[in-house]
Amino acid sequence: MKRLLAVYFVLLVGFLILPLIFLVPISLSASQFLEFPPTSLSLRWYAAFFEDPTWVGAAILSFRVGIGATALSLVVGTLASIALVRGNFPGKSALTAIFIAPLILPTVVLALALYIVFLRWQLVDNVFALTLAHAIVALPYVVMIVSASLRRFDTTIERAARVLGAGPIKAFMLVTLPYLVPSMFAAGILAFFASFDELIITLFVSGGAQTLPVRIWNDLGLKLDPTVPAVAVMLTMLSIVGMGIGEVIRRRNEQRYQSATPPEA
Amino acid sequence: MTMRRPIILLLLAPAVLLVGLLFVAPLVGVMSLTVHDGTSFTAEPIRELLGSRVALVVLERTFMLAASVTAICLLLGYPAAYFMSTLRPRVRAYLTYLILLPFWVSILIRTYTWIVILGREGIVNTGLGALGLAPVQILYTNVAVHIGMVQILLPIVIITCLASMLDIDKDLMKAARSLGASPAQSFWKVFFPLSVSGAATGGLICFILSLGFFVTPALLGGRRSIIIANLIDLQVHQTLNWGFAAVLATALLAITLACLGVFWLLMRRRVEFSGAGLGR
Repeated sequence: MKRLLAVYFVLLVGFLILPLIFLVPISLSASQFLEFPPTSLSLRWYAAFFEDPTWVGAAILSFRVGIGATALSLVVGTLASIALVRGNFPGKSALTAIFIAPLILPTVVLALALYIVFLRWQLVDNVFALTLAHAIVALPYVVMIVSASLRRFDTTIERAARVLGAGPIKAFMLVTLPYLVPSMFAAGILAFFASFDELIITLFVSGGAQTLPVRIWNDLGLKLDPTVPAVAVMLTMLSIVGMGIGEVIRRRNEQRYQSATPPEA
Repeated sequence: MTMRRPIILLLLAPAVLLVGLLFVAPLVGVMSLTVHDGTSFTAEPIRELLGSRVALVVLERTFMLAASVTAICLLLGYPAAYFMSTLRPRVRAYLTYLILLPFWVSILIRTYTWIVILGREGIVNTGLGALGLAPVQILYTNVAVHIGMVQILLPIVIITCLASMLDIDKDLMKAARSLGASPAQSFWKVFFPLSVSGAATGGLICFILSLGFFVTPALLGGRRSIIIANLIDLQVHQTLNWGFAAVLATALLAITLACLGVFWLLMRRRVEFSGAGLGR
């Protein structure tokens, strides 16, 4: 029985992962068309990406918006997390739910809603407004990860700093913040990719401006050449490496502070 | 450590401002469009929704698609989660990473890969041709939409099922066995009932996320596969009928919130239930 389940499990993992692996040989094809297996190999579609100003421009816009949205959601989300974890006030759980909501509510509803207000405020085709919209999508990750990490933090360490004469802000900056930095980094990576992969809101509010996902989306309607697989492979590498680094840093930090935190009650 | 009210307000202010202006206010705005046309109250948009055959057909299709995708994810995901729950923690951790790996690739790209695999000259049809078989039309059908959505949502269902299975005290099954139950009996009478609430949670999350899908039906489905998110997009970008788009969006939002309400009730019951039984 267990052997049967193991075989089934391997097949299922294959279904989840194999499609992504197929992209690699296809992106390396020298042919004009998508072919598998490729008859001859080349890097021409990777070169095609860097030679086409619309692709490079889309990548630059994606990085600009992504970095802006990450910085914004990180600052705003960390401050809010401190209040949500340390403070006691009415409506706390409702507020937390609202901060997390963009993760689960259908994005198309938010996209339409933002499009309507952006038209009214004349913010369509405005990079700053797009960055703000992406920050909304990135915020849930920051709030979830940073408040989870803050909840695990042993406040006696901070209290010790207070007893030794540090003011509340100094104690926070010197003791708690260094503990939070790695999880903020991990949250920042997730936030960045939430923005970097965002398609629907951008499609609605960006006017004509193209981020990378929008550029891919527009390409799919027209032709199927191996530039998209090449871009896909590069993006996938980027996100797997990025998130891998984030995860490693988060775990290392947890181990480092484990000895300092009491066993969970 | 207690914080004073002014400090709490100061810390929350930027987030509340951002979310208030760019999340809550726009959503309220869209919802208000369904009952108010800018100058006075009106029931016209709602009447339009109920009178529109297209909208009702698409709504029903959205529901059916979400239901069938959820059913498939549960049927495929539950045994996988069960298998993972029987492994040693270290192995399980590695397999969890493997299951979550596709999660780190954008949905657009994950959907795109299916075009490459299932297309007319895609990998599947090339393979069939090499075997001397006739090509099959999978891309631009509901089958392709199901494949694409299941691949995206399955990891979530597996991980949710697994989390609840790991909470089950394995000694309960041993007790059942020692009292004379067969392995099948101890699974169906002890393990399965205890794992149902976790599977229900995973199913509900899957269902809610399915309702809002946009990219997969648009790229992998045909004209008959468009669901509500695609219809909203069409109303905005082609028909330019925003009032109608707003009603559709409100309907989608209302259905999602209703499902979340069910989810919340379910979670609350589960907490009471597990809190009473297993001293963890």
